[in-house]
Amino acid sequence: MKQWIGIFGVAVSAALMLGGCGRGRSDDIDGPGKKVRYLALGAKVRGLDPGDIGDTTSSAVGSQCYECLYQYSYLKRPYELEPGLAAAMPEISEDRLTYTIRLRPDVRFVDDPCFPGGKGRLLTAHDFVYAWKRIANVKYLSRNWPFLEDKIVGLDEFRQYTQTVASADQVDYSQPVEGLKAVDDHTLRITLKRPCPYFLYTLAHLPSAPMAREAVEFYGDQIQNVTVGTGAFTLKSWKRGSKIVLVRNPNYREEFYPTEGEPGDDEAGLLEDAGKPLPLVDALVYTIIEEDQPLWLSFMKGKIDSAGIPKDFFNQAITPERKLSPELARKGIELVVQEQPDNYWFGFNMEDPVVGKNRPLRRAMSCAWNRQEYIDVFNNGRGYPAKGIFPRMFKEYDPAMENPWTEFNLDRAREQMKEAEAIHGGPITVTLSLPGTDTTVRQYGGYFQRSMEKIGLNVVLDYMDWPTFQDKVHHKSVQIFSMGWVADFPDAQNFLFLFYGANVSPGPNNFNYRNPEFDELYSRFDTMDPGPERVELARKLERIVVDDVPCIFSAHRVAFVPYYKYVRNYKPHAFGWGAAKYSDLDLELRKELVGR
Amino acid sequence: MKAYIIRRLLNVIPIVFGVMVILFILFHLVGGDPAIEMAGKGASAETLEQVRREYGFDKPLLVNLHAFEDRGLAGLVDSQFFHHIWDSVTFDFGKSYRSRRDITEIIREGAIPSLSLTVPILLLGLPTALAVSLMVAYVRGTLADRGLVVLCVLAMSMPYLSYILFAQWFFAYRLDRFPVFGYEEGWAKIEYLILPVLIGVVSGLGAEVRFYRTVILDEVHADYVRTARAKGASAHRVLFKHVLKNAMIPVITRVVLAIPFLFLGSLLLERFFGIPGLGYLTIEAIHSRDYPVISAMTFIGALLYVFGLIVTDICYALVDPRVELR
Repeated sequence: MKQWIGIFGVAVSAALMLGGCGRGRSDDIDGPGKKVRYLALGAKVRGLDPGDIGDTTSSAVGSQCYECLYQYSYLKRPYELEPGLAAAMPEISEDRLTYTIRLRPDVRFVDDPCFPGGKGRLLTAHDFVYAWKRIANVKYLSRNWPFLEDKIVGLDEFRQYTQTVASADQVDYSQPVEGLKAVDDHTLRITLKRPCPYFLYTLAHLPSAPMAREAVEFYGDQIQNVTVGTGAFTLKSWKRGSKIVLVRNPNYREEFYPTEGEPGDDEAGLLEDAGKPLPLVDALVYTIIEEDQPLWLSFMKGKIDSAGIPKDFFNQAITPERKLSPELARKGIELVVQEQPDNYWFGFNMEDPVVGKNRPLRRAMSCAWNRQEYIDVFNNGRGYPAKGIFPRMFKEYDPAMENPWTEFNLDRAREQMKEAEAIHGGPITVTLSLPGTDTTVRQYGGYFQRSMEKIGLNVVLDYMDWPTFQDKVHHKSVQIFSMGWVADFPDAQNFLFLFYGANVSPGPNNFNYRNPEFDELYSRFDTMDPGPERVELARKLERIVVDDVPCIFSAHRVAFVPYYKYVRNYKPHAFGWGAAKYSDLDLELRKELVGR
Repeated sequence: MKAYIIRRLLNVIPIVFGVMVILFILFHLVGGDPAIEMAGKGASAETLEQVRREYGFDKPLLVNLHAFEDRGLAGLVDSQFFHHIWDSVTFDFGKSYRSRRDITEIIREGAIPSLSLTVPILLLGLPTALAVSLMVAYVRGTLADRGLVVLCVLAMSMPYLSYILFAQWFFAYRLDRFPVFGYEEGWAKIEYLILPVLIGVVSGLGAEVRFYRTVILDEVHADYVRTARAKGASAHRVLFKHVLKNAMIPVITRVVLAIPFLFLGSLLLERFFGIPGLGYLTIEAIHSRDYPVISAMTFIGALLYVFGLIVTDICYALVDPRVELR
């Protein structure tokens, strides 16, 4: 009996370990001369349906397989758009409401069984109309509706109509939308409700990618597990939670490596491939590595080509002079430093009777927050203090702006605190809500608490998990909260709308900040033509906000990204997700440096 | 025994029902609003409301009195609670709020990698721990015994994570004996599983050996051992033939009750070695208020646990003739 149990145990164990034998390795893409990029993802990919992609990890993969009408220039800075699936930049009517966009005539979807004969068909304007109506379909429950909401004439009404049908597949997509028309197979006409100077960025955002209706109908719910796009790559295999392999799309349109960049690109060798057809590599292999140590060790072993530097390995990788350590340099690793389009803050709930009605208190707290020390202690110096809303890469960033309330100044803070206590009628206690309960968050909370103790302010810390935190913020049941925002596109609107009075919670204005002057100016700003006047107005709006202090602007992040020298054309981009098509590999150097 | 099993199986119903009720109450008492995550970044109040309506989050929690007036009993049970119970008992777990994927598919995909890791750990760990425990018991009171007990205490005191971090860095990175990270299908899987399995076995040895040693030493002092020795049986035979068999009850309790948890995977090992199992699924679901996934995993976990208890009882009767199931 015992022997049988033993044999059974070993058999079960062996069967499990060998489970799936015979299917072979799904990523059989390596071969002599094959250029394969190895990349890491810090989280699991949720799905690859562009209409529903709402997280950066899925976007990083999906944007290699799906394309939009416009794309960001890979090399030019400041960031600018160029035609992608569109043949040219749009013709915009005089009233700035109608966009007429001609499509490239040579774009085909990737070959897929959903098409007759398995051959990818030509892209048409109808694919855009369908894709956007699909996002508007309330039964589809796309996470990306906020990007189209209240923008296109008739689209919100289409969404209302979809609320009246029983299920997603009963929605009649032939229902016309006045502001969204395929004039012919290769011309798309969009009519906006009101001028929208940043609308073009929406057309470069992954959810606006065209979808072939036959693919959605063929795959049904499984559409998120496949890619039927027009991008440079297409999905070959996907081991959920583990690995994703993309290979070159043989139907990819004629596109070439850029011939222009910003000053210094030529010297950096970034224009050596100018004019070469894209993509330059044959395949992309994404490994999902959610923990810091395996990510770093995999990078150091050359299993992945580039990686962010985890906090605990920063001192090993970077010298105090912010240079790459000699050990890494010897391995043939180089470093790029990339400012992020973000802002992290401690928000005040302006409807709270203590902090919302006491501007000196908010100012005191803002002055008592030592931004640089926080960045040094918690982010290994990877960041720079936020003195206002906009990060440095935004054209609306005002280097000349002086904001006394974001300067670390304890004397000024104490003066403001006296005033604040006089308004409050005595010593003040506030509560800071923090998303997370781990050690780092507790250290962060403790650091904030001690910073405020210096001005005689008592801070109670309230740690909670992320959903609870989100819920409390949306229901206005926090007093002060730690949060941030990563911009989706390089336009000031993507920050300023967070302070607009019409957007208070549960909308995106989590501060519940209302200032009639700001709201009036924002309404003008939101629709005015791009240009110096708009930039100046954005700066004026920023000054109103920093004076009212609805939040303690804390820091903008800076990413340090080491990569192996054999990766060519490496230039990080804050917004252009689908940039893997521009990267190239020096296979001989790879062999020499990492042995494969 | 048949009546006993039937009775215990019937007991499963109220237990699992109770678990589901508690889960529902807890989730709705302390849980956040899942619509916030599902509606997307920067969603307006109207969009949030639409999402709540489409997912039925706007329905009454317990009973739908409003619908009762129009549709009678069918309307009364058109509430979040009754939908939750019905979906569970019909094994229609639905789709994850977070990934929008079929939960049955998620579990099916993750179960094999998880079991590939946890079953070998159990099958290797158990005989290893038993063998070491028997050896220690055999030389009880000696320096080797005391030394090993100290080692076990030390091993138990070390955080699980430190085993993983050290082994990954030393054996995989420094010595380059194993892959640092990754997982493949088929034969290639073994290469990626050896190190995490060894870590799982070694990290569990301290506690296991101490437990089994205590169990075995309890038996060593029993009357029948003295009788056997008096009849001339060798110490070796007594230990391996008689003591081991009589020590099986606590061993079975421990092992059988561990089996349901094999299915739930190993959270840290999977995360650090890139094994796409179920270990982190529930944690991720809790963090993102993915109620259907939490509900499915709790339901399956409760079922497995209750069945594990029944199997334990049956095993008692099989190994010990004195135990009778009535």
